[in-house]
Amino acid sequence: MTDISSGSLPLTTTDKVRASLAKRHRKQRILQAFGIAAISIAFLMLFILLWSQIATGYKAFMQTNITLDIFVDPAEIDVDRLPRGDFDDVLTAALLEKLPNVDVTDRAAVREASGIFSNGAQFDLRDRIVEDPSLIGQTINMRMPVSDPYDQLYKELLDRETPEELRRLNDVQIANYDQLLDAGAITSKLNTDLITNADSRFPELAGLKGALLGSFWALLVCFLVAFPLGIGAAVYLEEFAPKNKISDFIEVNINNLAAVPSVVFGLLALSVFIGWFGLPRSVPFVGGLTLALMTMPTIIIATRAALKAVPPSIREAALGVGASKQQVVFGHVVPLAMPGILTGTIIGLAQALGETAPLLLIGMNAFITSAPGTPFDSATALPTQIFIWADSPERGFVSRTSAAILVLLTFLIMMNAIAIYLRSKFERKW
Amino acid sequence: MDDLRTVSKDVDANNTKISAKNVQVYYGDTHAIKDVNVEIKERTVTAFIGPSGCGKSTFLRSINRMNDTIDICRVEGDIRIDGKDIYDRDVDPVQLRARVGMVFQKPNPFPKSIYDNIAYGPKIHGLAKTKAEMDEIVEKSLRRGAIWNEVKDRLHAPGTGLSGGQQQRLCIARAIATEPDVLLMDEPCSALDPIATSQVEELIDQLRESYTVVIVTHSMQQAARVSQKTAFFHLGNLVEYGNTDDIFTNPKDPRTESYISGRIG
Ligand SMILES: Nc1ncnc2c1ncn2[C@@H]1O[C@H](COP(=O)(O)OP(=O)(O)O)[C@@H](O)[C@H]1O
Ligand SMILES: [Mg+2]
Repeated sequence: MTDISSGSLPLTTTDKVRASLAKRHRKQRILQAFGIAAISIAFLMLFILLWSQIATGYKAFMQTNITLDIFVDPAEIDVDRLPRGDFDDVLTAALLEKLPNVDVTDRAAVREASGIFSNGAQFDLRDRIVEDPSLIGQTINMRMPVSDPYDQLYKELLDRETPEELRRLNDVQIANYDQLLDAGAITSKLNTDLITNADSRFPELAGLKGALLGSFWALLVCFLVAFPLGIGAAVYLEEFAPKNKISDFIEVNINNLAAVPSVVFGLLALSVFIGWFGLPRSVPFVGGLTLALMTMPTIIIATRAALKAVPPSIREAALGVGASKQQVVFGHVVPLAMPGILTGTIIGLAQALGETAPLLLIGMNAFITSAPGTPFDSATALPTQIFIWADSPERGFVSRTSAAILVLLTFLIMMNAIAIYLRSKFERKW
Repeated sequence: MDDLRTVSKDVDANNTKISAKNVQVYYGDTHAIKDVNVEIKERTVTAFIGPSGCGKSTFLRSINRMNDTIDICRVEGDIRIDGKDIYDRDVDPVQLRARVGMVFQKPNPFPKSIYDNIAYGPKIHGLAKTKAEMDEIVEKSLRRGAIWNEVKDRLHAPGTGLSGGQQQRLCIARAIATEPDVLLMDEPCSALDPIATSQVEELIDQLRESYTVVIVTHSMQQAARVSQKTAFFHLGNLVEYGNTDDIFTNPKDPRTESYISGRIG
């Protein structure tokens, strides 16, 4: 090559190409560097997000508990007066047994010490005794969550070095705690309450059950509404509708609909479903309908793309043996497009799962302490629960919020993974 | 060439199966087929040849009304099969396509099992009442498609897993499973290697015993090998139609002559 170009001819094509080659290579290198930089930044952001949530959230996956031998004193709890009784006194007595330093007659000191119990502890005890009144007069062993400041102390989120007047626990309380810790009464275990409890005003008792079920019902309603309607609309538009001005107009508007901010759908749902139809506020059913409004354009667009991707040769093959239009569409085209349709649907549902604004507008951010049994019970959803907790002043809700975000992200990643799996598994089998 | 000539003589005695009179086909404003008249004989292989874009496929597809599925396509004139106007209002194109089978350029088996590929047509037309009847149709079609021996042990394997030539014979078997009288083939060998091509050509020759076959081909050798009648299309016109050996040895129209000698196309 070099021999030819260094010949007598002034400027051969090879020379010209070589002259431009360096420039082209440089352009390509710049472009590559740019791409790598963009991807690195995206990954860095993702890493920061996950890291910050995991760093604060992981502590909420553990819960500090106190274990005590409780003498159910018949003097305090009368079998005839159940479910009433001085359960808190029984608990305090059991606690003081472990804390010989505390002066039983000093009411203030006793109150300070018993602050280690979470507000739910006495109710847990009550429920146990109501269930089995024969426990009265016996000594039972019980493990209960400690209240938020002690939980923070155990997780070293509460700094012992802080001046006493700025701390949520004073020196005596910390000394009591240390004594209990030495006695082996304080333990930490996986916080299943985070999943099995509904919301609560007390962070140590608050769980995601209500939000998880609320999101489940809402997504179920969303799927049942948006999936058939979305596919129906897409199949009609793609396969049967005449191609004219009206169908063009509809197509443009569906694409516009997909771009409408979600808060607008929330306002629409508020005025239509709740205002006109008189459906109740805060229920997952209305939430699901609202999310369906938003998910439908996504499903329609994904379905149309999937239908378009089915090769014309399959349609011709079916038409060629005498299948009717409807047999071609429902017997061949839609089944072949199904992986694409499902992928689009799952992505649409994942978007719906993370959607907050429209649910806030229809009141799915109420404070509700029981999990919804049906789509018509008031509930929160995962994103609105995150919103509520993030807004709560108690320290314990900070890690709870991060934990809830991690739960939400886990679901989103799972759904997207399923979508990717479907896409790669069923890609092009013709 | 001698044996071909004897064959063509036989063919002229056959009845007319398909007759087209003053057929015009338009795609929107494009006039793709211009005033074509042709009589296609029963139990004969008729080849359509001509340079690409001259309208061979378009004309072929108007014989089973596949053009109906293209919105902008319009067919005028008169096409009759066994004397019956197929564009008559009481003719259902779905029913017509069961009688006029079609094989396409690229093998296009359904992404289903070999068995289901064959059974699909008979199933939607209700040709088999029992599983045993369906099994029989499937076997018979695969045998006629000259592929039975290769697939009989894996009827439930996907049809898309076969080789290109096998897929095309499967598609031919699928087309004859609905018991058509006419088989339309649009360049059925253009995606196949020479060995698969000769297998399909052999099959086409056998099919002539029971079917009227119309084959579009861009290979003149193929037309000479398999057909008894040849129609030469040019720019939407049917330039010349006659016995294959006459067209190839003694073309009347100068355009046919230049195409055959390789000057156009
Ligand atoms: N679906 C279609 N829409 C518009 N024009 C078409 C369509 N199919 C074919 N044509 C036009 O009709 C003419 C004939 O095409 P075709 O029948 O496919 O030719 P051939 O099969 O002989 O190569 C060409 O000019 C082509 O551009
Ligand atoms: Mg063609």
